[in-house]
Amino acid sequence: MFKAIVSAETLTSALDSVSVLVDECKIHLEEEGLEIRAVDPANVGMVDLSLEAAAFESYEADGGLIGVDLSRLEDIAGMADSGQLIQLELDEETRKLHIQIDGLEYTLALIDPDSIRQEPDIPELDLPARVVLEGKDVNRSVTAADMVSDHIALGVDEGEEFFYVDAEGDTDDVHLELTREDLIDLQVGPAHSLFSLDYLKDMNKAIPGDAEVTLDLGEEFPVKIYFGFAEGLGQVTYMLAPRIQSD
Amino acid sequence: MRLDDYIESLEPDEEAERRRLAKEKSYAITDHLEEFERNFERALSGDSLVGSTAPSIFVGRSSYPDVPIGVLSPVGDEDDAESYVTDGEWYRRGYGIDDVLQRRTGLLNSNKRADVDSPSVASRLAPSVHDAWDGFVGVQREVAIADRPVDLEIGLNDDPDLGLKPGADVATPRGPRASASGAELRENPHVPRPVKKTLEDDDWRAQGAMTYLYRRGFDVYEINSILSAGALGEADQRRLVPTRWSITAVDDTVGQFLRGRIRNAPSIDEVQVRANEYMGNRYWIVLAPGSWEFELVEMKAPGSIWNPNPDDDVWLQSASEGYEGRSSYVEETAGAYYAARLGVLEHLESIGRQAKCLVLREVSDDYWAPVGVWQVRESVRNAFEGVPGEASDPDLERAALAGEYGEAETFHAALDGLAPQLPISAARLRRKSELAAGLQSNLSAFSSPDG
Repeated sequence: MFKAIVSAETLTSALDSVSVLVDECKIHLEEEGLEIRAVDPANVGMVDLSLEAAAFESYEADGGLIGVDLSRLEDIAGMADSGQLIQLELDEETRKLHIQIDGLEYTLALIDPDSIRQEPDIPELDLPARVVLEGKDVNRSVTAADMVSDHIALGVDEGEEFFYVDAEGDTDDVHLELTREDLIDLQVGPAHSLFSLDYLKDMNKAIPGDAEVTLDLGEEFPVKIYFGFAEGLGQVTYMLAPRIQSD
Repeated sequence: MRLDDYIESLEPDEEAERRRLAKEKSYAITDHLEEFERNFERALSGDSLVGSTAPSIFVGRSSYPDVPIGVLSPVGDEDDAESYVTDGEWYRRGYGIDDVLQRRTGLLNSNKRADVDSPSVASRLAPSVHDAWDGFVGVQREVAIADRPVDLEIGLNDDPDLGLKPGADVATPRGPRASASGAELRENPHVPRPVKKTLEDDDWRAQGAMTYLYRRGFDVYEINSILSAGALGEADQRRLVPTRWSITAVDDTVGQFLRGRIRNAPSIDEVQVRANEYMGNRYWIVLAPGSWEFELVEMKAPGSIWNPNPDDDVWLQSASEGYEGRSSYVEETAGAYYAARLGVLEHLESIGRQAKCLVLREVSDDYWAPVGVWQVRESVRNAFEGVPGEASDPDLERAALAGEYGEAETFHAALDGLAPQLPISAARLRRKSELAAGLQSNLSAFSSPDG
């Protein structure tokens, strides 16, 4: 059983943060809210999303599992204006999702969850550095780096205590330093890793400019990026494997 | 063998010898042109070329979709027509730039303009190339799908434009051209059965049909010609495809097919370096364990054809793809990217493995005329197999190294080992190359406790 009413904005934010990595996903319809975990086919980027029941106007679920084609669901949600409500109801018999937006009814055929890529185990990582910054600073870093290169180095200078972003291109460089004053929080630790901008650009798309974003970093280790949406009732965690410079 | 031993065993003597020969032979082209002119006059009867035979076709790009289409025929060397077809045989025979130019300039391109969608007057009513088997276009298409040269009689409107004037600068050679009034078959062309099958099945999407032909043992050169003539694909999608575009389309399509075949294959388990050298181009191919990733980096020496100023720096171009391939056409390296990628994927598919792969191509100033992307394809393919010229001279010294490779501990150790062989610094390579900067790891590498 699943029946929920949610604002178009909240639903779209949730779907967008997953669809940057995968085309299809499984959605767990838990009593306390929705949960989605997915990894891209190359096993490089992972997303772990939760959206609490309180983020919905109304929410009833009892632990079901559905598989959806994200771009189709996004297209439907895109039919709603940002203030509008979207009503979702699962038909257990036909395995279809009934979606209503102000009189517009759409019946979405679901995908057999078993046919979707297995959900990833989330690696337990001991990441020594933590940087907390505003979403718009993530956006600024990624956008500038993308002008010169296809990859970006994220690191923490332990001595001088700042977070830095480096991008080296064929001819041009981008360098950005954010000190404690520029950041919301900084836990200093040994951290320097290189990441593909293809992935970071996609993840950046899902990060709201005004969100408080936490980056956990290590040396040639994956980065863990997490932020809240829907007034803190939704939580997204990304994990991205680095490009290795030493091997 | 160890990487440093491998590098040492790649003695450059042979290349120096070839360079010397190339200098000596540089007048051969002009002699050849004069001979062509004499042959042409002999073969011309009124305004028709009789007793001609065409091994291949050409579809141009200029003023697309109203493009020049032509049949290519050797004039005065009909008995040897097969050897004028560009394919892997040219590499096996160890053709040099001069040899290629002789064959290119020895092919008369008798051409007419045609619309790629509705090339003949008869098909204007139903605008599709699908059923056009009459007139000049029809003859051209018969030549494209036949598996051996086709005897023709070609009507010409005027004398051919030789393109190359003896003594003039030989920078961008092309063959002689003549405007054709028409062409007629002088025999019933032989068409292989799988080609008939793709020709007749007009519900079959082009990509699937190309892959089918490849799996039935047709090389990309043959598939390219068939695609170019609009002889495969869904009926309403069929059109004439400019030769240059179709070469890339076939390399890309077959490459995607092969990449799919190794998608779930285990990785190779060591870092391997291979080298090849052909026509003033040197290739280094580095394979490293991990999931599929590919990059081509081209280093063009000052004084080579694309970087003509001898005082300029080495020009760099690169393009790469990750595990899932590219979604956009490559901006740099163009067709060479797909040709090199095909060569690597053929090897990986044959051993049932995937790998990360960096191809470094150094273009020296000995590469004084562009011979076409086939040179890249064959050099990379054969870096895994055989040295150029093996077919004509099996005792080549480097033949002993065929199939050999140098081993290195890590990918970056391999690049350090190669650095002294490259025309650019390791730092500059790292700035240009996505793979040299860092190899993409995956999350599972960090899941286990020993990470």
